[in-house]
Amino acid sequence: MSNLRLAQVPPGSQDLLADDVRLRRTVQRAWFGLAEESGYREVIPPTFEYEEVFTLAGTQLANELIRFVDRDGRLVALRADFTSAIARMASTRLRDAELPLRLSYAGKVYRQRPEGGGHARETFQLGAELIGSAGPEADVETLRLAIGLLRALQVRDFQINLGDIRFVQPLLTGLNEAEAESLRSAIDRKDRAALADGARRYGAPAAVARALVELPELIGRGDVLLRARSLASGPEAEAAIERLRAIDALLTEEERAHVVYDLGEIRGLGYYTGMQFEVFVAGLGRAVAFGGRYDGLLARFGADRPAVGFALETDALAAVLGEVL
Amino acid sequence: MSGRPLRIALPKGRMMDEALLLFGRVGSEIAAEARDSRRLILPSADGRFEFLPVKSGDVPIYVESGVADAGVVGLDVLEEGQQDVLRPLDLGFGGCMLAVAAPADAAYPLLPGGTMPRVATKYVESARRFFAQKGMQVELIRISGSVELAPLLGLAHWIVDLVQTGRTLAENGLVVVEKVSDSTARLIVNRASHKLRLDEHQRLIADLAGAIEKSSA
Repeated sequence: MSNLRLAQVPPGSQDLLADDVRLRRTVQRAWFGLAEESGYREVIPPTFEYEEVFTLAGTQLANELIRFVDRDGRLVALRADFTSAIARMASTRLRDAELPLRLSYAGKVYRQRPEGGGHARETFQLGAELIGSAGPEADVETLRLAIGLLRALQVRDFQINLGDIRFVQPLLTGLNEAEAESLRSAIDRKDRAALADGARRYGAPAAVARALVELPELIGRGDVLLRARSLASGPEAEAAIERLRAIDALLTEEERAHVVYDLGEIRGLGYYTGMQFEVFVAGLGRAVAFGGRYDGLLARFGADRPAVGFALETDALAAVLGEVL
Repeated sequence: MSGRPLRIALPKGRMMDEALLLFGRVGSEIAAEARDSRRLILPSADGRFEFLPVKSGDVPIYVESGVADAGVVGLDVLEEGQQDVLRPLDLGFGGCMLAVAAPADAAYPLLPGGTMPRVATKYVESARRFFAQKGMQVELIRISGSVELAPLLGLAHWIVDLVQTGRTLAENGLVVVEKVSDSTARLIVNRASHKLRLDEHQRLIADLAGAIEKSSA
């Protein structure tokens, strides 16, 4: 008689059998081929780190850490995010490396997810970090890596939603934490009524109120940048639009066909400071990749330098390939 | 990006009837041949939508996963499940209130002798947040139906449940002692679908918003 406890794996974990592995390795091989060709060198951060490395990414990730107590009583978390770990690495051991620094990775991340939602707690990601370059060329280089990987894998039906967090941030200044949080949640849910209501209740100036209510609609092709510019409140928001226009100018016609500007999206990780993006593939209910600029993160670990990067959900992409191949 | 109709998850029951009325007003009633049928998916006559009738608590799950592009569900259900979906529009109908109810002679918010209150509910997460915000400690008992019987049978001191007219409560000798939250039906949308089929979603939101405005004017 089999032992039922021994026969199970915990919810959210799984065995990967030959076909599952083959698809993931196909994605990873294509990735490392492209990354190496583009001058990115692979690093492997540890499987567990002191939890503070990851809590900088914001409360959402902090709430999803899988933690345990180390021998000395310090809290340790399983790797929940490569970018945080690589930012630590680049600020410490790679501190004196020549800039820009191009690093790539592929491996598992571990996150606590609610039971019964069909969420894995252990997933494969891959991605790249470009450290030491502040210009729009670096942003485009990152976007190109994501596009290049999808192309290499013959995924054609994809869309990149590109925004810049500096457009939204000024709209929330001057509010207390609870007010800002309630507006952030309304922005995140594209709830226009709640935005109008919040703007009124918190006494937002007319220009800010107008921009808040328009946020859910500030999504589309290049003309959205013009509309957004007329709503921009202050130098931060204008810098955001300027950066997106600079990126747009650097993209090829073919790349641009995949890009949608999306100024009302604030999904990104807590450390993003500028342009940020999500990649969607037809047939998947969630973003398959996400990325952005995190110019403040390395300074938290002791070396102040700009950086930009992206991460891709290897399992989700493998699932798409499984249907194509 | 895709030619198939938008798939809309609807909560079986009265809210579904009201939702279908609303979709009818924007020109998308259920196709005649699908009416009164037992089909799992009901196409709209104009080919714009496919309606997917499911249990109300399951609507956000279908939408979050992307199996349905959008859905209609009560705010109470959304707040309980906390699924990660867009909530672009308050549809106005399906109004009700989540409330704490207790037998008419019961003590609230403190029980005599400092007894820890037991509270029976289907809405465990919403109740947990509500009592935590009030700084009250209670023991929550998750049950799945006939919540109003729990105090009568001695399972719980109070209940947290949806109140529409208050009749069911009155029939069981219960009264509302405190409101937890108000709820109405919401349009919810899958995040990825909203990005990939933006024009269709924007048109849906604008059409429904227009129909609601017209009927309330």
